[in-house]
Amino acid sequence: MLIQLNQKQLKLQNELREYFEGLITPALRAELNQPEHFEGGGPEFKKAMRTMGSDGWIGLSWKKEFGGKELSPIEQYVFVETVMRTGFPFPFLTTESVGPMIAEHGSPWAKEEIATKILKGELIFGIGYSEPNSGTDLASLQTKAIKQTDGYLINGQKMWTSLANFSDYIWLATRTDFNAKNHKGISMFIVPTDDPGFSMSAINTLGDVRTNATFYDDIHVPDTHLVGELNQGWSLITSQLNLERLALVNHGPVEELYKDVLKTAQSTKINNDQCLSDLSWVQHNFAQVHSGIEALKLICWKQTWIMESGQLNMAEASVAKVYGSEFFIEAYRLMMEIMGELSILKNDSELTILNARLERMYRTASILTFGGGTNEVQRDIIAMAGLLMPRTR
Amino acid sequence: MDFSELSHQTEIRDSLDKILNEHCSQELLKEYDSNFKHDASLLSLLSSNGYLGLGLNEKYGGSGEDLYDLGILFERLGYHAAPLSLSGCLVDVAQTIQKFSNEEFCNEILSSIIAGEIYTSAILEPSNQDPENPITTAKIKDDQLVISGTKYLSEISSMAKSVLISANSNEGVLLVLVESDKVKLTELSSTANSPLFKVELDSVRVDRESIIHNKGRGLEALRYLIQVNMVMRSYIALGVTEKMTSLIAGYTSEREQFGRVIGTFQAVSHRAADCFIELECLRLVNQQASINLNTNLDCENDALVSKIWAGNACHKISYSAQHLHGGMGVDKDYVLWRYCLLAKECELINGSASQNIDRLGINLTTNQ
Repeated sequence: MLIQLNQKQLKLQNELREYFEGLITPALRAELNQPEHFEGGGPEFKKAMRTMGSDGWIGLSWKKEFGGKELSPIEQYVFVETVMRTGFPFPFLTTESVGPMIAEHGSPWAKEEIATKILKGELIFGIGYSEPNSGTDLASLQTKAIKQTDGYLINGQKMWTSLANFSDYIWLATRTDFNAKNHKGISMFIVPTDDPGFSMSAINTLGDVRTNATFYDDIHVPDTHLVGELNQGWSLITSQLNLERLALVNHGPVEELYKDVLKTAQSTKINNDQCLSDLSWVQHNFAQVHSGIEALKLICWKQTWIMESGQLNMAEASVAKVYGSEFFIEAYRLMMEIMGELSILKNDSELTILNARLERMYRTASILTFGGGTNEVQRDIIAMAGLLMPRTR
Repeated sequence: MDFSELSHQTEIRDSLDKILNEHCSQELLKEYDSNFKHDASLLSLLSSNGYLGLGLNEKYGGSGEDLYDLGILFERLGYHAAPLSLSGCLVDVAQTIQKFSNEEFCNEILSSIIAGEIYTSAILEPSNQDPENPITTAKIKDDQLVISGTKYLSEISSMAKSVLISANSNEGVLLVLVESDKVKLTELSSTANSPLFKVELDSVRVDRESIIHNKGRGLEALRYLIQVNMVMRSYIALGVTEKMTSLIAGYTSEREQFGRVIGTFQAVSHRAADCFIELECLRLVNQQASINLNTNLDCENDALVSKIWAGNACHKISYSAQHLHGGMGVDKDYVLWRYCLLAKECELINGSASQNIDRLGINLTTNQ
């Protein structure tokens, strides 16, 4: 048993850290501080993506034959961790999830035109999975793609299509067989957002992160836009789900925030002799956050090791998702308690602490307990796969 | 990164389970519910199969210095609710001597522990929150020490050849091995009926050679002892909570109400799932702490994290198990009750979760 990163992984971590320090210019940082650019999409962001593309920092998880570096799951985790610590809204779903799937399963056109450009940092995808009536039960989705002589005709509506407002394409899950069982009739398409049949309306969220409802009205796409086999889309949706879930609960950002709150508390005088961090209840909150982060780190590392050794362990993946998402909410609360009223100040005051990250983080954390597979379903999985209990109904 | 057990570790687990399954049946355990809880024949069986040498160097007859190996032993003892209390002997005495004593001590004591001789420790003191700073004193007079003080929660002391005592002196903290016949022992009756003793020392005289460490290393040795004890006892907690979680899964998968198995109710299965999560966290923080202690004699924060998780997991899983079993959970003809009592003991010995949160918080905010 060995529970630590090896030399090669530590080297990757350092390289990435240094690279991002250089990449994130003051202008980019200023752009990312604006709510409309929290998730990227601005000119500085686009510039940075192209720089990363030409420097070879996109496609790290891709297979070598498609131009990637073929990082192992642990290295991918380190990659996600290090990038998330910097606060750069790296479009992981486009580059690490959709990209490799298109590179592997796409038509010759998609491989040439789409995958190559993703690697260059020139394309962003929005993910079109959820629908108004298909959330947790994703396989019940109703957006349809009907076969025509020269392609497919797409009609339907998607919800929570994040990044659609600056995406070039949507990675769209559609129903192509209406007689098959739910998950057996789904196919994946690349749908351009500049098609006249495409439209969207903004959904403004509690976390000031914009997402979208997107509409697909008689959009015609050629056969080359189908990715993978017809009616075999479900396996493309689920194949990278474990890595995605793991990325959602990566321990990097919360540990980064913990360190910064600790430094702030140690330098915040509350009277002539004492700092905030000298108060015992403050120390208790820090200890709780620390012991929680340790467990989260170990759960995530173990999960990457399970993936690396090619085992399948559904219970462990669900443990990571449930524990991580619920711990974030607890950790942000404990850390906001430490900084007290200061933590509700937004970004525009001289009293603002930590760039108002606490104020923002707690508002965005709540989506994780239901996003990426709701925690009730995850607990069902833990009971069944981990404890061999009967299926709940 | 590698979370897999080595093949010899899986073997230890499997063959220990075989022995303990046989010696810790409900019927046999019942005998110890009201009698002195120490199964001497089981101890000699563990000895003759080499299990008392886990975590000890091969040159003394052990199976290698890996605390994770020793952790497996404590985990399985906890899982089977075995009538053996061995952390004083195999952890406090054996591990501390291995790391801090001269060859002479190691040769004599470690080989006799492996052969089944019982030693124990007496570290904790009533109403002393800080075991690193013992109230018990040792006065140094020429080549002799005169030790006075009161210790408690010392394991199977009545059977031990010697007791490892922590004391303060004008040379700082000392760890001293004192023959049992020099101290006054009083058996304490406690929640899990474990063989725990109060140890009183009234001007007990011992030779200076009874100090187990080199001059000036007493505090370091005591800190190590406390940390390794915390982690190894957290392995007992792991075994205890693992057993309770499997009892939950088993019982709720069979018990029927309203015409269906109660495990099919989400309220039930989700509470069980939460126990599984808690258990997994405890397992991982224990693994990290024991591995780090293999190479670093001072890993206080890792040990505290492991004890904090142990304390919380014992409490949460125990009450979930009680609740989900309904009346069965309190019926002494069923297995669960014994584990619930053990869980409370594991939760509180070496400090509660709240106490250790306090300690960890001080470390995090001042030592970094």
